[in-house]
Formats: sequence, C-alpha cells, structure tokens
Amino acid sequence: MSGSEQLARQMDQALASCVHCGFCLPACPTYLATSDEADSPRGRIVLMRGLSAGTLSPDDAAVAQHLDACLGCRGCEPVCPSGVEYSKGLEAARAMLARRRGIPFVARMVLAVFRRKWLWRPIMAMTRMLRATGIPAQLAGSGRLGFMMGMVAASRESRVKSRELRVERQGKNSRLSTLNSQLFTGCVMQGLFSHVHDATRRALEQAGYNVQEVRGQGCCGALHLHAGDDEGARALARENLAAFRGTEGPIVVNSAGCGAMLKEYAHLVEDAEDFSARVRDISELVQPDPSQLSTLNSQLVAAYDAPCHLQHAQRIHAQPLAMLKSVPGLTLLVPPGSSQCCGSAGIYSLVEPGLSREVLAAKIAELAALEPRPDVVLTGNPGCLMQIGAGLRAAGLDIEVRHPIEMLD
Amino acid sequence: MTLLPHGLGQRLAAIVGDRYTRLRPGELAVYGQDGLPAEPSPPGAVVLPGSREEVIAVVKLLHEAGVPWVARGAGTGLSGGAVASSDSVIIGLTRLTRILDLSVGSRRAVVEPGVVNARLSAYTIPHGLVYAPDPSSQTACTLGGNVAENAGGPHCLKYGVTTNHILALEVVLPDGSVVQLGSPSGDAWGPDLVGLFVGSEGMFGIATRITLRLVPVPEAVRTYLADFGSVRAASESVSAIVATGVIPAALEMMDQACVRAVEASIYAAGYPIDAAAVLIVELDGSREGVAADSDVVAPLLAAHGARQLRVADDPAERARLWQGRKKAFGAMGRIAPDLAVQDAVVPRSVLPDVLDRITVVGERHDLVVSNVFHAGDGNLHPNISFDRRDLRRTAQVHAALSEIMEACVAQGGSITGEHGVGADKRDYMPLVFNAASLDAMCRVRRVWDPLERANPGKVLPVNACREWRAGGVE
Repeated sequence: MSGSEQLARQMDQALASCVHCGFCLPACPTYLATSDEADSPRGRIVLMRGLSAGTLSPDDAAVAQHLDACLGCRGCEPVCPSGVEYSKGLEAARAMLARRRGIPFVARMVLAVFRRKWLWRPIMAMTRMLRATGIPAQLAGSGRLGFMMGMVAASRESRVKSRELRVERQGKNSRLSTLNSQLFTGCVMQGLFSHVHDATRRALEQAGYNVQEVRGQGCCGALHLHAGDDEGARALARENLAAFRGTEGPIVVNSAGCGAMLKEYAHLVEDAEDFSARVRDISELVQPDPSQLSTLNSQLVAAYDAPCHLQHAQRIHAQPLAMLKSVPGLTLLVPPGSSQCCGSAGIYSLVEPGLSREVLAAKIAELAALEPRPDVVLTGNPGCLMQIGAGLRAAGLDIEVRHPIEMLD
Repeated sequence: MTLLPHGLGQRLAAIVGDRYTRLRPGELAVYGQDGLPAEPSPPGAVVLPGSREEVIAVVKLLHEAGVPWVARGAGTGLSGGAVASSDSVIIGLTRLTRILDLSVGSRRAVVEPGVVNARLSAYTIPHGLVYAPDPSSQTACTLGGNVAENAGGPHCLKYGVTTNHILALEVVLPDGSVVQLGSPSGDAWGPDLVGLFVGSEGMFGIATRITLRLVPVPEAVRTYLADFGSVRAASESVSAIVATGVIPAALEMMDQACVRAVEASIYAAGYPIDAAAVLIVELDGSREGVAADSDVVAPLLAAHGARQLRVADDPAERARLWQGRKKAFGAMGRIAPDLAVQDAVVPRSVLPDVLDRITVVGERHDLVVSNVFHAGDGNLHPNISFDRRDLRRTAQVHAALSEIMEACVAQGGSITGEHGVGADKRDYMPLVFNAASLDAMCRVRRVWDPLERANPGKVLPVNACREWRAGGVE
C-alpha cells in the first residue's frame, strides 16, 4: 500500500506546478493526431492527478487508454513555462496502473526478452540473419508485417557507404589516445546497429579517446521504466552500474533513449550520481575537423530528425547540428517538424500501432514534401531509425536512414 | 455522473464515430476546466466533430433532444467559458483545422474554427501578411475561440482586437440552421451581425467558417525593454507615451513577481529581476516612421526614470523578449499551484493609482499578486497565486479579487478586457450594467437562441433572464 502512496506522492510533486494554461497542447504529437484533450499533456495531467487523489480509478478504462497512448516523447516538457516534470509523473502513473492491472501481454513479452541477454542476443542474431537474406527489404510495406519487415530492413548498414571509405578513415587515427572512454552498447544498438557502434568508436578515436570495452552491460531499462515495470528497470540499472564500476572517463551513448535513461539513473537507484554524471551523447564529445573528413558524403542532401530523448529529455540540439555542419559539402535540412516525435517511442509502435502510425504519417508527409528532396534522414536513436525507415519504405520513398555519426566516416 | 438522456451517447457516436465521442468519467474530467483554474465541472459528454456537416448534425440532434451544449476550442480561455455542467455536451472544434483559402491580393483568409492562431500567421507570413490579434496563448488557442471571446493581445493596441479583423462568418445557430453573416469584402449592409457575434462567448452559435482580415508584415520593427525602480514610474511613462500621440504596436508591463517567474523558466528573456517593473514598447511601421517614433519614445522613457533601455532590432532577440511576456501566465505555476486571473480595464490616466490600490489589497490579504498586462490600453491582469487546498487562503483570494474589481470599476473601469465574462466574471456584471441593460442582453440572446441552450449559465447572471421576465421588466 505504501508503494502506491509513494507513487501518488511522486505524481503530485512532479505535476504540482501545472496551472492548466494549455501551452503544451501544440507540442503533443498524439493531441495533434486525435485533437482530443484526453490525448494531450494537460489532459493526461488531469488523469494523473485524479489517480493520485483517488477521484479517478485505475480501473477506468479511459484513464488507462489515454495514459497508455502517451508516447513519452517529453515534447511537452521544454515548452512548459512552469517546468512541470511530466515524465516523472507519467512513470509513477504507469507503475501504478501496472500494479493494478498488470502490463499488457505484448509489452510483457518484449520486456521479458530485454531483461535477459541470453534471450535478446539470439533473437537479434536471428534478426540479423533474416536481414542478410534481403527478404525484409523485399517484403517491406505498409501492412503490419510489411512495416515490421521495413523496420528490420531499415537497420541495415547504408548501401551508399563503401568499404574503402572506412579504410581511408582508419589510416587517419594519428592522435595519441590518452583519455579513456567507454561505449554503452545497449540491446538493439548492439544487436542491429553494430555498424553505428563501429562508426562511434572511430569518431571517438579520432577525437583523441581510447575506447574501452565494458563486459556485463546490457539493456538500459528505459523500455521497462516507460511501460510501468519500474522493478525491471531498477534491476537493469544495477547491472549496468556494476558493469561500469571501476572505469573512468565519459560513458558514451549513441542512442538518445538510452542516454536519457542513463543520465536519470540517479532518480531510480542509489549511488548512481557519479555514473549519470559521466554519461555523454556522442554528439557532445565529437567536434570533427572538416579537413579530416572524407568528401564522399558531399553530394548528399540530408534531413536531420531530432530524437525526442535527445532534444527534449537531454536538451541536446545544437551539438549534433554543429557536428553535421562540419561534414564537407553536406546539404543539411532541418524541417520544422524535426523535433516532433516519429511515433516509435520504445515499444509504443508495437503496443499502440494505430496511433503510432498516425503520428508517423505527419513526419513522412513532411519529409516527402521537402525541397530539395533528401537522400538520407539522420537521427540518433535506433527506434526512430527503424520507424522512420519503415515509414519511408511503406510510402515508397527512396530515402535512406542513418545515424548522424555515420556521416563522419 | 452524466445527466444526459438515455441513448444520446450512441446517437452522437452515430454522427462523429465512437473514437470522437467521449463518455467515460476520465475523459470527461479532462474537459472539466479550461485555462482558468477553478473547481472542475465535467460535462455529460464530449463530441469532436470532424466536419462542418457533423457540427450541424450534432447541433440538430442536441436541439431535438433538448440538451444544452458548450462549444470549445483548445480550452485555453481564462474565464471558465468553455466548461459545461453534467447535463450538457461539449462540442470540441479542434478537429476543424483547415485553412480553406488565402487571398493575398485582397488580404484575407478563410479558416475553420479549430485553426490555431499562430498557425495562421505562420502560414501567411511567407506571403507578407500577418493576422494581427495575438493573444498570449496564440501558440495553442483556436481562432474559433478568439471569435467567441473577441480575444485581444499585445498588438491589439495599434491594430485592434479580434472584432476589427473578422469580415464574415458562417454560423450554425442553436437550432442547427446555418446562416451567413457579413460579406467577404467586409462592407456588408444592414445591421452588423458579425460585430454582434464576435465576443458572444458561445451563446449565439458556432462559427464554422471564419473570413478574416490580414495586415501586411511591417517594414520595420523596433522593440524596447525598459526597466524601472518603481511600478508608478513605469505606469506614468505609459500614460506619457500615449499622450505624445505615438501609437506603439504594443505597450506591455510586467512587475517584479512576474519577471522573476519568467526568468526562472525556459522562456527567460533576460529581464532584470531587480527591477520593480519592466515595460516592453514595440514600434512598427515604415523605416522612417519607426525612427521618428523612436526619437520620441526613447528619451521619454529615460526622462521617466527608466534605468536601462535595451533595444531589440533583430527578430531573434525580439522573439525572446516576446516569448517571456507571452508565456508569463503559464510560468505562474512556479509561484504556487493555483492562479486567479483578473482582466479589468481602467482608463490609462488612473493606471498608477489603480496599481497602487492593487498592491494595498494584496498586502492586506497577505497574498502574492503579480501583474502582467497590456498597459497601453489599460487592460490589467493582476494574478493571484495560491494553493486551493488551503481553504482559508482561497477565501481570501476571492475577497481580494472582488475588492480589486470594485476598485477598477470605481475608477471608471470595466470588468473584462479580453478574457470574456464566462463563468468567472458573471457575478460582476451587475457592477457595470443595470437590470435594463442586462435584460437587453437577454433579449438579444433569445433572438439567436430562444431556448437558451448554447453555453447556458455563462456571461449573464444566474436566472437573470427568468427573474426579469417574471418581474415584468419586459
């Protein structure tokens, strides 16, 4: 019982400063999709306050529906004049709902897999084998299966990039590496985007860092925390803290969602302050020298898409753009909707596929209408890469997706 | 607990679809307030029609079923006007978001009521045109709501409020019939029904198509930030500027409590937090005109004791100064969880005295009063921050609000400048209108809505119409 009281208190504290002004409404992708205030941050704050005060029941299907429908993109937080800590309130509300009604089946399965390395690693390996067959690229489309195949296909290393490019680049690692750093490898990034990890390591070495491998690390637990499985998230946080114990220097992340989570471990478990203070997004560390970069990307037109957990949660926006502006000859577009969520949101695209696709549709429409037409969309989060990649394929658009750090190769 | 006729929910859903019919307690709670912090009043149902045809069908159905209803935009209003009781239905217009026409040559646009104010200007600015009325909530509020409330905003000092920018309307009357008011060219003959409809606070019907006037983006803009050691010095310089004959595009004032809340927020604009008050003075027009006005205004501000004068000539710096001002209301949550907002208008000449009086009232009740307002047209917004869980304080807040309102009226002021009367200021109406005037308003209302089913219980004092009718005033 004290647990739910504690959750109610966390909700009250996080949401206390909301004066109901409604300035968050236009920043909310689900409100823009449904036009229903129950799907807006302010509306969800009413639901959460009702839960904590006991005037609304966690058994009210409407309460669960609209809190479940939140992407957790945190687009409402940076626009809030009163600094409401929306996501902290949401975490508590979801934990409260999860305790009452359990976590939905699909979500439970996914979360169980990512709790255990011996489960997700073989699944990722099988996905890679499937991807290598080229079948997902063939089956990519707009139906449920086609979209999932599109997601798998989108995780593939870019066709444009060539092997000699990397060879050329490796010869340039001339600086002495005296500073230590560690790469946080995560789950999906490790399983499907190891080429992004390689590019990250090369960029770090170029920036003068020695990149140490850290054994025993795993999923960051963000998926679990956002779905209401706060216990699962804590267990994973403790595993990662243990794995990085004894290391020093920046803990480098190239996945926006993981980075935001790692930086907030201190809210979740004890003795995590030092760890969280060391966490850096790759774009915070790398400021490349244009003269050192290949000119092979110079023909490309790229559209930047800001991952929510980079822009809203970590408030990192200028750094990736500065990094990309140093790429010789690259034409960089930042569409007005760049900071709008793509609808991926961790496991949201699996558990709320309808609304996820509606939110994505606005993004794809904007990308399709861009002038000049981009060759590639750059975004620093695995979920966004796969979601936008699948959306582009479903729309029949020949636009690639890549992680920004790959442009430094 | 819904008090609607049995089966009404299904009949509404048959028009707009299940997805856009809201009947469950959680969903109704969400619509229990608008931007005015007040006791929540959940409606009996919420419908979100997706087209003007669906709006018409919904209004007809409610008319036949004898059910009252309230039209609502984004729910950012500050008078409790877009809130319904449990025997009523909220008709949400947020799905009607199309800009139907833009005619650059004749400087007008046709929009649906759910179009967000700032979105219209974002759409027209590349064509050199802007929609001038700019309420502080313009990033979220809808144009339909602006029409209902006759919304103002900082730039209405020079350009006029919403009513000066609405040319024609298509209106669904409370019986479901559709009328066209005004003419697209803006020179309609006969009674000015558009003028009557604008500011009717949802009592006359629902505007489903709005034809608005756009103005050219000014050639030059210069924005001053002046800070003062006393509120009186700031308000005296407001009167002095207006007395020169220069009409600034905007003339806004914020006091220290307000400045500090903004400076603690993401919208921090670099206002000096040790100033007793800051003024934002914006001049716009031709290059020569702005230069000439600057030569008048800048020395005048200095002569009235401005400690510092910051000038913003570039758009980014100007936007920063304005963001701070426009998000000030939302930043008040940093002071306390609840906020009471006033909207009185007083003659500019008495601004200094009225502000002194507000300070005295606040101090006597030991309340945090912060002022952020349109000084140029004397439209005050004293905000009182409080925590509604503290019942004793809440009672003090209400006492202080009444005293402030009475002081404004005593100085020749009115009870609302731009937020509307709604539910919040309904009981102040007899302060400024006698029974015959209120009765006249009731009669006008019944011309549009004989059964008084559109936004019942707002604006006109409770039972006023019935009492006066019974009392034989007719």
